[in-house]
Amino acid sequence: MDDDDYWNTSETKAQALSFDDDVLSAQEIIAIGQTPSIGKTEDSIFTNSNVKSVLLPLSSLVSPKVLDLILLAQSGKDPNKVTKLESEETVAVTLKRLVLGRSCTLHVHRSIKSKKELLDGAIAIGDGNAILSVVLFLIQTLNKKLVYELLSSRPLALNHYISFLQNEGKVTELTDLLTMLGRSSEAAIYQFQHYVKTQGNNVDGLIRKMSNLLANYFNQPAVDAQQSKLVADYVKLLEWQKYVNKQELNNMSPLYCLAYCCTHHWHETAGNMMSPMTVCQRQQITPLQYDWVVLNVHAKLHKWDVVESLFTKKDWLGRTTVSSHIPIETLLGRLSELQASSRLMATCVNKVAGADDRLRLAQMYKIHSVVIEIFAKQKDRIALTGYKMTLNPQSEEYILAENTLRDMSIKWKN
Amino acid sequence: MDQPLSLKLASMSLISQRKLESILALCGDKKDLIIDPILIKPLERICGVGWLRQHGIDKIYKMDPQLGPTANINKVYFIPASVQKYKCVLDHISSLISQNASLADLGCFHIIIVPKFICSYDSILESRGLYGIVKLHSFSWELMALDEQLMSLELPFLYKQLFVEQNHSLLSSVAMSIWSLFHVIGKPKILFSVGKLSASVLDILEVYNETYARDFLNNNSSQEIGALILIDRNQDYQSSLLTPATYSGLLSELFNINCGHLDLNVKETIQKKGKMDFGFKDEDVASKNAVMTLDSSIDNLYGEIKHRHFSEVLSVLSSKAKLLKNEDIKALGIQEMKHYVTTKLQQVALFKQNLVNHVLACETIISDMSQKFENLKFTETDMLNNRNKKANFTFVDENFGTDIHIYNSLRLMCLLSLTQGLSYDEYNSLVSKYLMAFGYKYLYVFNNLVNAGLLVQPSSPKLSLSISNLSDRLPKWQSGFQVAANKLKQLPSQPDKVNKSSPSYVFNGGYVPLTAVLCNTILTSESLAEVFTKLSALSDLRVGGDILEKFSNGMETLNQKLSDLKLQSDLEFGCKDAKGLSKLMKNDPNIGNVFPLKPKSVFIYVIGGVNYAEIAACDLVQISTGSKIYIASDCVASGRDLLVAST
Repeated sequence: MDDDDYWNTSETKAQALSFDDDVLSAQEIIAIGQTPSIGKTEDSIFTNSNVKSVLLPLSSLVSPKVLDLILLAQSGKDPNKVTKLESEETVAVTLKRLVLGRSCTLHVHRSIKSKKELLDGAIAIGDGNAILSVVLFLIQTLNKKLVYELLSSRPLALNHYISFLQNEGKVTELTDLLTMLGRSSEAAIYQFQHYVKTQGNNVDGLIRKMSNLLANYFNQPAVDAQQSKLVADYVKLLEWQKYVNKQELNNMSPLYCLAYCCTHHWHETAGNMMSPMTVCQRQQITPLQYDWVVLNVHAKLHKWDVVESLFTKKDWLGRTTVSSHIPIETLLGRLSELQASSRLMATCVNKVAGADDRLRLAQMYKIHSVVIEIFAKQKDRIALTGYKMTLNPQSEEYILAENTLRDMSIKWKN
Repeated sequence: MDQPLSLKLASMSLISQRKLESILALCGDKKDLIIDPILIKPLERICGVGWLRQHGIDKIYKMDPQLGPTANINKVYFIPASVQKYKCVLDHISSLISQNASLADLGCFHIIIVPKFICSYDSILESRGLYGIVKLHSFSWELMALDEQLMSLELPFLYKQLFVEQNHSLLSSVAMSIWSLFHVIGKPKILFSVGKLSASVLDILEVYNETYARDFLNNNSSQEIGALILIDRNQDYQSSLLTPATYSGLLSELFNINCGHLDLNVKETIQKKGKMDFGFKDEDVASKNAVMTLDSSIDNLYGEIKHRHFSEVLSVLSSKAKLLKNEDIKALGIQEMKHYVTTKLQQVALFKQNLVNHVLACETIISDMSQKFENLKFTETDMLNNRNKKANFTFVDENFGTDIHIYNSLRLMCLLSLTQGLSYDEYNSLVSKYLMAFGYKYLYVFNNLVNAGLLVQPSSPKLSLSISNLSDRLPKWQSGFQVAANKLKQLPSQPDKVNKSSPSYVFNGGYVPLTAVLCNTILTSESLAEVFTKLSALSDLRVGGDILEKFSNGMETLNQKLSDLKLQSDLEFGCKDAKGLSKLMKNDPNIGNVFPLKPKSVFIYVIGGVNYAEIAACDLVQISTGSKIYIASDCVASGRDLLVAST
């Protein structure tokens, strides 16, 4: 193939890449590029190749004085050793120390007024670390009811506390807080997240936690009905997984379980727990998703006969047509990726209604017989001759094109 | 100090090195470094193994919960600021102490936390009885130069904390990185912020300025940067959610990029990995992939193609290949050959290798994306312009029902939600299909997306009927997004006809990233008033810097500010609201004479991750305005990374 052809077709696979006969192929060049460089052992953590050699000396970037300042700022140390008397610690001084990361005693702020000022000041500056410090201080020194009152009118501070409780895994406190603030649907979902992340794939534990959540939180009027339905479906699936007791299915998705059943239990009768139909009905899998899974599983198992029997049917004239919930263009694309036979592809593309679309898709997926047929129908000899040139001489399609061109019964328009 | 700015920026790694040195000096003489794997690549940009050895590091280990005993008594753990990882280290230390109680008195445990440790870390230490036994150190490394004019703090976990959890504990690290930067490049005359976090960063920055005596800073304004622009990621989620059309943008869609290094895994791309699993997973063959360094100063070829529309890339590569082919070395004499081998051969070999890698990457992009790219592009553009809502939903719904992708499908859902909105039933249809495919355990993900502002959860029709009035439920000609985007001229009217001089080419002519709009406006306006007018659609634009001194009330100290503070009002310490300032400048539309901007260069800093499409769009603005645009962020993140943060 000519170089220009290569660059223009862009479908060429990597192995076809060679710029010249005695120039190395892509793979060979990559292989050379990957020979370990000297002094680099396989298990060394560092590659050590990144430090740029040409850099300016540090002294020309910043003065020594500034450098000391930068180091000081990172360490959070106070340059003035004079420790001020605690009573001089005003709200502003405390906040500044918090922002700078210096040590400070919040405990001098004992009145509710100065506590409030601290909180509002930290929020106004917007430094999350200062906000969290103050919130944690309030939790220590005020009763819960007062803290919750302060937080409920300050969403930013509240978010910091929620995030803190989440990271600490303090799920009971988090639930209490949100419930008290009348945000029980959030309490439900945070607990959900916590249990999913802590239980792993332990089906028994998950069933217990989720059933409990469902009964106590998700089934409340404040929670969206759709959400509670999804949690109920989750429990239902977990129960199925517990029953079938297959390690590899634990806490997997409905479609994964369906794919498993299609692979291993395709011929199981409808009533059986492992039958694909059982999973489909229990989890109310949509026909579209069902078709998609069945198609992919059987194609990957190379059981094309199953695919054809499921997705094609004979109409009353005895012609084979495609019948699936998967939209036809998507189906074609996927069949092509799965390397379906050209016969199946042809059956599929023939289902496309408009002749233009049909031609476009047939050309896109190189379903030659259909392209030739359409050109013949359109009596377009020039187009067909042109198309013939793109085909491999002596191939089946090439001969079909030639025969079609010779067909005396077609009255060519050009 | 008239070195080129790019060299100065690259040299900031030496400041980081000095910072690390000062910490290591506190950690004893001979010690083990136990490093979290995600910090290895960034640390390599700061120092090498040789340097670490010089500073007392004897052995290096990867942090792992199962890590056994290490060689030396002194141990320096090196981790990012994540509570989980921190607790893991504390567990490790506790188990060592339980085996050998005397370790507790040796002061031999140190934890270096990037970028800083927050207040709760101290109390965790105390509650575990490790206070005084373990010493914590904050290491706030400086911005790293990943590529020409591209700086990154390489803190990929920041987006999740700041936007998903809405925990701003590490926000001051962004302020500190800017504060350090200003010491090196000088302070621009004017600072802009777009979004709440950006405004807070300017406030915190002002606390640093006020504390660390201003006279340390060179008080002359920067000779090299005219303005700094800070913007929150959530001010332009569209730019993250759209599918990029540039080469570097598409690379980040398919391959993992860590600290500027791309792992060229052509077999298992991100696109393929995120698809539904039918139980046919091929055994994971740990293949050694080629690594591409996305730095134009190392790989010129990358520099030439990184910002190009993908459709042009193969022809550039092709012409390079032909040049290479024409270089006929057979015709060389023996002396010439020797010369060639010693001087050019290595270069040519490297060039060839880069060329091959880029070709492989291109082919992977084509085979993974080409089929769907066209339809995706049309749908995305229709969403942006609020056209064919029904068809757009059908497209997304069908994608969820068939070839669903764990992140990219969510991304489409978010884009539709933010541009045209989703009805209660549409929303639930997508959620339920997603959970069917990937498992009910992901139910919480949608809550996180809503919290991050990536998704709008429609309320149940039963509830909303009683609350909202009819007009809210009628279809709208323009959503809030389209109104603002049109005012900011982000939506070209004829995407197909956009020429190459519009930054919207990065999204196939469909959309101009907000970062590009901001840079362009600030670089081309004649007065501050003009900037404000052009950007009036932004609800959260603020101004900071020395220019504030020109306004009558001038600067106040933090003490004064706090004493006047009212509940939930803005502090307006480091920056002031643009709308308020507009009123004050009726008589002097170009107060401070900052505009037209001089020097004609800006530094734009995205909080929450910048993406390659935005970088390319800004590059085009810099060419068309004859200026320089430097881009910084806490990391370079694709749209997928934002969704990963919600899972």
